[in-house]
Amino acid sequence: MSKKANTSLIMSDAASRRQRISSLLGQSILFLITSLSTITVFFIFYFILKDALPFFKAEGFKEFFTTARWYPSGSPAEFGALPIFVGTGLVTLGAVVVAVPLGIAASVCLSDLLPFNVRQIVKPVIEVLAAIPSVAYGFFALVVFAPLLQNHGGAILSAGVWIVLGPLIALLVVVMGDLITDKLRDKMNPKTAGAIIFPILGIAAFIFLYRLSAQLSGVEISSGTNALNVSIILGIMALPTVVSVSEDALQAAGRELREGSYALGATRAETIIKTIIPASISGILAAVILGVMRAIGETMVVWMASGNASRIPDPWYNMLQPVRTLTATIAGDMGEADHVTGSSRFHVLFAMAFCLLAFSFIMNLVSEIIVKRSRKKLGK
Amino acid sequence: MRLETRKLLDKAFSGLGLISIAVMAIALLLILTPIVWRGSKAFVFKGTIEHRRVMLEQFHRGNAEKFNKDYAEVVAARAPIYDMLTDFEAGTEQRVSSIETEMDAKKERAKELKAEARVLKREGQTEEAEKLEAEEDRLKDEAKALKTQISELKESRTEPLESVIDALQELFGPMPGQRTPVLLRQQYGQTRWDRTLVKLHEVLYTEEWDYSNADAMGILIEKPRIDQFIGTEMESFFPYLEENISEMMQPRRTFYWQFITDKSKDSHIFGGIWPEVLGTIYLTIGAMIFAIPMGVIAAIYLCEYAKEGRIISFIRICISTLAGVPSIVFGLFGLAFFLNTIQVSDSKSVLAGSLTLSLLILPTIIRSSEEAILAVPRAYKEASLGLGASRWHTVLTVILPAALPGILTGIVISMGRAAGETAPIIFTAAVSVGAPLKLWQTLSQPTPALPWNIYNLCTEHEAVDEIRHVQYGMVFTLVAIVLLLNLGAILMRARISKKLRG
Repeated sequence: MSKKANTSLIMSDAASRRQRISSLLGQSILFLITSLSTITVFFIFYFILKDALPFFKAEGFKEFFTTARWYPSGSPAEFGALPIFVGTGLVTLGAVVVAVPLGIAASVCLSDLLPFNVRQIVKPVIEVLAAIPSVAYGFFALVVFAPLLQNHGGAILSAGVWIVLGPLIALLVVVMGDLITDKLRDKMNPKTAGAIIFPILGIAAFIFLYRLSAQLSGVEISSGTNALNVSIILGIMALPTVVSVSEDALQAAGRELREGSYALGATRAETIIKTIIPASISGILAAVILGVMRAIGETMVVWMASGNASRIPDPWYNMLQPVRTLTATIAGDMGEADHVTGSSRFHVLFAMAFCLLAFSFIMNLVSEIIVKRSRKKLGK
Repeated sequence: MRLETRKLLDKAFSGLGLISIAVMAIALLLILTPIVWRGSKAFVFKGTIEHRRVMLEQFHRGNAEKFNKDYAEVVAARAPIYDMLTDFEAGTEQRVSSIETEMDAKKERAKELKAEARVLKREGQTEEAEKLEAEEDRLKDEAKALKTQISELKESRTEPLESVIDALQELFGPMPGQRTPVLLRQQYGQTRWDRTLVKLHEVLYTEEWDYSNADAMGILIEKPRIDQFIGTEMESFFPYLEENISEMMQPRRTFYWQFITDKSKDSHIFGGIWPEVLGTIYLTIGAMIFAIPMGVIAAIYLCEYAKEGRIISFIRICISTLAGVPSIVFGLFGLAFFLNTIQVSDSKSVLAGSLTLSLLILPTIIRSSEEAILAVPRAYKEASLGLGASRWHTVLTVILPAALPGILTGIVISMGRAAGETAPIIFTAAVSVGAPLKLWQTLSQPTPALPWNIYNLCTEHEAVDEIRHVQYGMVFTLVAIVLLLNLGAILMRARISKKLRG
């Protein structure tokens, strides 16, 4: 009896070895499966580069990066991808202009201003924005937004100016007016000074806005599928990324920091602007980078609604002209180039994909490093 | 700064934040409203008699007896239209033939005169003969004038008539007695009431573009067609058509839920979107089959087994890199690796597309599973290990069940992502036209899929405007699938957080 109990409780050497080996084996299998994503990353780099190199070997770098003539099917074929890079940059810049201010304001609102219950309602809105498939955004841009822009472009632009600049300029008027009355305190009664200065500033701001919107309402947009359209839609698509990452960063700044600031007599706005945002600036930067990556890597929206004209807009910042981006070129030209596998026309698309890949890889690393450093700084 | 200003600024700041949230909500609303509103019209709409005819003849659905009764009424209502057309044609012919007889008579007379003139010439009566010849020339000229009159008549009556008939055929389908056209879309009239009204407008008005101002875009000028037919048999055609259109089409509120489960006929002019829906389901499930085991196992290893070190942090960097790779690059990689290098199938296939998609969603699944596993209280694990269970046993029986709802949430969200991604399947799995696949065909055959076909229908289809409702219906279906999945995830998470709070 005692012998039997002994054997069941204490493993024999062989059994123990067997168990150790099997657990080691199991662990190594798990490790292999885990490292699959690593292998995938290497494979992606390898296979994209493998098909991109023949292009650079045959055509060199100079034409691809510096000239503006893109005729891959002409004879002789010309592979000047500069307009495509410019188009990508322009569209991304536009998306950043839309997404970053809006996203940061929204994330501040989510983390510091809204009560918990309201936040629970707003968060799903952001999740839904992130979940809508890109092709649905593209469809909206092409079928709904582009005709609107084309037919009522001026009205939309001037309404946009009122909606975007209106609140900002109103804020500016309040601040400026107050500063000026404050300075005039010694010479005048502050009330009369305010009564004079605020109307003047207000009217000036109104006239400025009115003139601007009147000028814009005269603009005629010849094609609704242009950089502006795509930028706005891409900005909306990048918003959820920006909001969620920068909200995390703002939350990570911690309660102590906020309470310290309040204790010193700062208002909420001052606390956020002067304390919280500087403390979490690196996280916000990471959010911006992730938003840029989202915009740059997006295919369907730009393919459907950017107009796909491989021409540098004139002047380069003209958002009302059609542009072409790297992703749209890859998606659009592969259908034709697929039949000529092995030609420069096929490999040039891989060269573009490699540029995209390299860019997103570097951006990813940078954001990773920033986030890590900020965590260290905040002591977490 | 004064205190009041600081307070004001504080309020204004909050206002800006609220505005940004409102802008976001409005953007979401603006995007979803047209998609939901017009998308639902692919399912619920006013269907005409032609829709019921398509259903009966192409899909063998509906009550044939009742349809025949309705159709007889429709034919009776349409009959006067076609009568007027034939009357008008007959009128044209009659006029032409009366002019022709006149012309023939004049030609005949001219011939006679010519013969007479020849006789007179031979007899030496030159003066008389010249007179007759002059007469003959006059008659010939008159005959020529009549001939131009005929061609003018034809031009003024036949050409407008032909364009009316073309427009009418688009509205009602082929004319009675006409040979059945080859294209399916020409065999039927308009199936939807809204399109019927558009086509009716095209019958009633001609369109012309005015480009006289070279700087501006052309201006559309619409002229009523009836102006071309005033004083003819067709004069009452247009008012009759306009007044009786609903008798001729019998619009009825239709709930066409089979839009999802019907095959498409004649490249989406008729029928539904089943091949696309099925293709999307295959691709999504296929991607999940590959991604779930890999992702969950990787998460288990990273959370439970791995010791933080260089290799693990490198693996983490790779995972986040993978998450940042643009989706179109995944597509190219799928083409270069799965199709061109290891050749999982000869051409594009669902298998290759699923594999590509699974790589795309792998990082999402790893991250969300990791979060779910880390959220399991340490005490569970320690209790299990303390009872003498092995690590693997603990993972399988204690940690995974506790983390399951969280893992499922991540899986459901990435399912939505996989269903909606377009770029990775362009080169690996998607075709524009195709039949629904059988399960075993997914290993070797490409499939239509919702995201790709939305792109394809609204940019490359030959009749983009005619099938707007199908495009909206597809977008609506896709968005509904994705949002329902996300809604499921949100609800699941709400339940988990309730449970964790106790």
